[in-house]
Amino acid sequence: MTAVVLVVLTLLGAPLFAVIAAGAMLGFQTAGIPLLAVPIEVFGIAETPILLAIPLFTFAGYVLAESRAPLRLVRLTSAVVGWIPGGVAMVAIVVCAIFTAFTGGSGVTIIALGAALLPALLKAGYDERFSLGLITSAGCLGLLFAPSLPLILYGIVTETSIDEMFIAGIVPGSLMMLGLAAYCLWRNRHVRVPLSEFSWSEVRAAAADAWLDLPLPILVLGGIYGGVFAVSEAAAVTAVYVVIAEALVHRDIPLRRLPAIMRDSMVLVGAILLILGLSLASTNVMIDAQLPERMVAEVTQLVGGRTSFLALLFVFLLLLGAVLDIFAALLLVVPLIAPVAAQYGIDPVHLGILFVANLELGYLAPPMGRNLVVASYRFNQSILSLYRATFPFVLVLLLTVVLVTFVPQLSLWMLGR
Amino acid sequence: MTRSPDASLVGRVTGLARACETGLLCAVLAAMVLLAAAQIVFRNLGWGGIAWADEALRLMVLWVAVLGAVAASRGQRHVSIDAFARLMQPAAWRAVQRLTAAFATVVCAALAWQSLLFVRESAAAGDLALGGAVPAWATQVILPVGFALMALRYAILVWSGPAVADNRQPAAH
Repeated sequence: MTAVVLVVLTLLGAPLFAVIAAGAMLGFQTAGIPLLAVPIEVFGIAETPILLAIPLFTFAGYVLAESRAPLRLVRLTSAVVGWIPGGVAMVAIVVCAIFTAFTGGSGVTIIALGAALLPALLKAGYDERFSLGLITSAGCLGLLFAPSLPLILYGIVTETSIDEMFIAGIVPGSLMMLGLAAYCLWRNRHVRVPLSEFSWSEVRAAAADAWLDLPLPILVLGGIYGGVFAVSEAAAVTAVYVVIAEALVHRDIPLRRLPAIMRDSMVLVGAILLILGLSLASTNVMIDAQLPERMVAEVTQLVGGRTSFLALLFVFLLLLGAVLDIFAALLLVVPLIAPVAAQYGIDPVHLGILFVANLELGYLAPPMGRNLVVASYRFNQSILSLYRATFPFVLVLLLTVVLVTFVPQLSLWMLGR
Repeated sequence: MTRSPDASLVGRVTGLARACETGLLCAVLAAMVLLAAAQIVFRNLGWGGIAWADEALRLMVLWVAVLGAVAASRGQRHVSIDAFARLMQPAAWRAVQRLTAAFATVVCAALAWQSLLFVRESAAAGDLALGGAVPAWATQVILPVGFALMALRYAILVWSGPAVADNRQPAAH
């Protein structure tokens, strides 16, 4: 009965943290455990060193999103590859991926990059529907690359090495980008786009403009993938770097804007970490009630092999991603699914990659995937026209996500497993 | 989120509270960025890092998380499933908003009370934090304060209803 009430409240839009807290408190009450256990679990936020990376990366991402760095990046990459057929579409894909990896949320990417990318695509001769579809869907690329927040969260929840998650994401993430790129080239094979002239002086000017932004991805990605920085150290370096580069040197952001950006970014951090802290408590309740064991027993009885389990998980995650935020979905569902997946011999790293890849598509899922809503707002388009615009892109991404789900080697090959 | 300045007493009090919240949030975050950076510099210079820095950083994460959560309650920006709420008629949506806010008020009040008990217990036990420099309760007190502020926020929402009439705006983060 209480469970039904909680589910109804959730569907009506009650804040998720309150539902989780209520569930945990009711569970502790039933088990005769003092409710004091809930704040003690929340205090666990202060006992998990790796969490430091989350506020630092998020803050840095918000500063980048407000700066003119995205525009400079688009200008530079357009100057370098804009003359190649399909070049501007490639720019959109690559820049969106890098940017989403750093900001961790694809809505932010559409808002920050849309203003630069949409005119660039239209000017290059792509039609409006194609351009809108590309920007809206490319906004969800990049969550599989370092230093993406969903990968960090999955690592924290399952105690999987975050460095391994970052490495494992490279091939699947690149596959999704290549899939979109191939579609763009094929779709526009008959379009005779007036190619822009390659100009050294424009490349030089754009590079001079972006000289301070360029070292950042190299520094952070090189530092993490090369093993120079721990994840939270890379986060600290990024935060200091972007404040110095964007606010002090480029002066894109007036210093008096910084408090508002800090506050906005910490709203997201607070929302995620509160759910994390409370889900530590609710996970304990579930473990106490032997829910994971029962899930394992039920599922292994119903679902025969590993392939059918993966198929079931694939469908489940697509539906989940359509209604639930990727961070909340990871925090709530992973603790339940991970033991079941282990029974089927699924590598935890592969599980994490397929979770993020599947949930990523939820951003584009009707009726109200976040990218669709943000893009409809940002570009003043009806949500229906965005369904149509994104449809072919979603099909392509779906295909790549099927591959990522059913071919574990894509995730594990870089790790040599 | 800019609203016209409200000259009433309530308006001034909430404005002041908001400024305090933001000020504290920014101070902790700025300290966190600087301390984390200083720690890297010190380690790489071979000075061995600051002894209490790691614990302080972890506590700061808790503080920004709770303060951020308070700010999120103010702007209705907590994670929720809004797919169905967006499809409702505005009038029904406003009623539902009040209902879910009432639920959140009760939960946050319960969390605040339990956190207070937790802090009281730790104070009674005389636990110390940060290498013995401060009593542990002083680092934990953000929990009851934060949850109480969130309860207050949701109570105000129940009382006055949602500030925006429109349920079809995107929530981007």
